Amino acid sequence: MECPLFLGYPIYLVMIMFEFFSSPLILRALLALVISSIMTAVIGTFTVLRGLSTMGAAIAHASLAGAVLGVIIGIEPVLGAFLLSIVFALATAYVGEEGGGRMDILLGVSFGFSTSIAILFISMLSAYTVAAWSFLIGDVLGVTEGELAILFAFTVASICLVIVFYKEFKFITFDEEGAEAMGLRVRFIHYFMILLIAIATVVALRVVGSILTVVMLVAPAAAAYEFSHSLERMIILSVLIAVISSLSGFFISIRANVATSAVIGVITSITFLLSLILSTKRRKCACRLVSPVRLVKEKQTAFKKHVPRCSQATLEKKT
Amino acid sequence: MVVLKISNLTVAYPERIALQNVSFEMKNPALLAVIGPNGAGKTTLLKTMLGLIKPISGTVEILGMNPFKEGAKVRRIIGYVPQRERIDPTMPVLVKDVVLMGRTPKLPLGAWFRTIDLEAAKEALSLVGMENYWDEPYIHLSGGQQQRVLIARALASNPKLLLLDEPFAGVDLTSRSLILDVIRHKVKEGVGAIVVSHNPEPASIADLVLLLNVEVMAFGSKDDVLKPELIQSVYGMPVILGLPNLSGDDHV
Ligand SMILES: Nc1ncnc2c1ncn2[C@@H]1O[C@H](COP(=O)(O)OP(=O)(O)OP(=O)(O)O)[C@@H](O)[C@H]1O
Ligand SMILES: [Mg+2]
Repeated sequence: MECPLFLGYPIYLVMIMFEFFSSPLILRALLALVISSIMTAVIGTFTVLRGLSTMGAAIAHASLAGAVLGVIIGIEPVLGAFLLSIVFALATAYVGEEGGGRMDILLGVSFGFSTSIAILFISMLSAYTVAAWSFLIGDVLGVTEGELAILFAFTVASICLVIVFYKEFKFITFDEEGAEAMGLRVRFIHYFMILLIAIATVVALRVVGSILTVVMLVAPAAAAYEFSHSLERMIILSVLIAVISSLSGFFISIRANVATSAVIGVITSITFLLSLILSTKRRKCACRLVSPVRLVKEKQTAFKKHVPRCSQATLEKKT
Repeated sequence: MVVLKISNLTVAYPERIALQNVSFEMKNPALLAVIGPNGAGKTTLLKTMLGLIKPISGTVEILGMNPFKEGAKVRRIIGYVPQRERIDPTMPVLVKDVVLMGRTPKLPLGAWFRTIDLEAAKEALSLVGMENYWDEPYIHLSGGQQQRVLIARALASNPKLLLLDEPFAGVDLTSRSLILDVIRHKVKEGVGAIVVSHNPEPASIADLVLLLNVEVMAFGSKDDVLKPELIQSVYGMPVILGLPNLSGDDHV
């Protein structure tokens, strides 16, 4: 029996899709993408709101250094990344609190420090530069079943911890001073948050690479921020944006035969830029003419010192 | 048990002395206004009372406890309202989230809010006349409404002592009188209240007034402290008291 021609093409497409999705390689990649997107989007929400994105970038390169060190001394790279990123993250947070210097300078230096160490280790790796490359720019198609299991375990554990610390995280994110004054152990909770950022960079390392980890951590959450009036909504939106961007980035990169992490990075960055333009948060302010660069800058420093751009007090005074 | 007793307190930051030899006492729950110009050390005084800043010398006794030894315990029975401008109003939180923060330190990690927590939060919110805003985003509120929500958050923890840092800054007359009524109501219930203000005006409704400028310039009832010469010597210019602040914005 002949199949009519007009049915042939769709059936052919479905068969290709079926084949595509039944390939274990692709399935692993898709799962790894979904897992790491959820992880980075949830942790990224707190990273963005607490102004810790530079810290995230610095920790991501400590993860890279740890993974390469793992290759050098012959332990599982994920384990190396886990240990080194946590040590580095807690050390940076500690110096930031005890040193009392300017946080942006400290983070700039610590970013350079972790990246230097990573490059140092990579340069010791003469024979295995491919391994280093896959941690730098990610290699989602190379994720093994064992690695997938580790990423999954890290993510589930971290999400559980976020649930346990949720009301405390919300309080210190909104008002650290008030939280401390009313008896929360702010420092302990803050360190815990830093710890989760470190684990998120480890999960993202294998999938999008250390260079683009910070984009995954920051861009979906920052885009979600523009459309959210509650923390819960921001987390959910951030996860949706991250999962959709990374899956569509994956398919486009496979078709175009280019680096997956790069396409994901481009898509999430564009999503963020669009969200700034379409933002519903500032729509009703008359201050829309403020340059977006200033908006971004202000937001970065907002958690330290907020300059009310369009506060009710000034509006009331005018009327 | 005295509510608050501070003796010979001296506090310094690395480069300056913020409080010098400060002593005063609040025996029974009352409304104490701490007034003084910017940089007088008012916020520092509150933080030291909470045990968050260690003094060079001197002692603090607050609700029968030493905040430098039992800091966590002290902080859990205190309702603190920070200076509103320290908080980023674009944070994605709802009014109910903010008020429930007052209940957060009472619960262990991982525990979710119980019915009594929700009830306490709702009651605190209606005390400040904001019960209809439970589900509203914090960013949608006016400055005065945000201030009232922050006060509701402090009340939700059923505090024994209220510390309010500049609760009248940038607040219109309606919110201002509402806030005052709530504080007065709480003082009647036996809760001490300490209101910090850089503007001497709120002192005219207080039971006790502390005029602070690094050192204690005057302490006592409002009639003792609110003397024009005294105020002028601290603020460096004549200040007319007793007139309502009609601009609704009392930033100096
Ligand atoms: N963390 C800090 N490190 C160094 N100096 C500080 C610190 N905090 C406050 N100071 C200084 O201590 C002095 C008292 O500050 P404080 O914030 O207690 O004043 P204030 O009376 O609350 O002022 P305002 O009315 O402006 O809120 C100020 O001169 C201030 O510059
Ligand atoms: Mg102050």
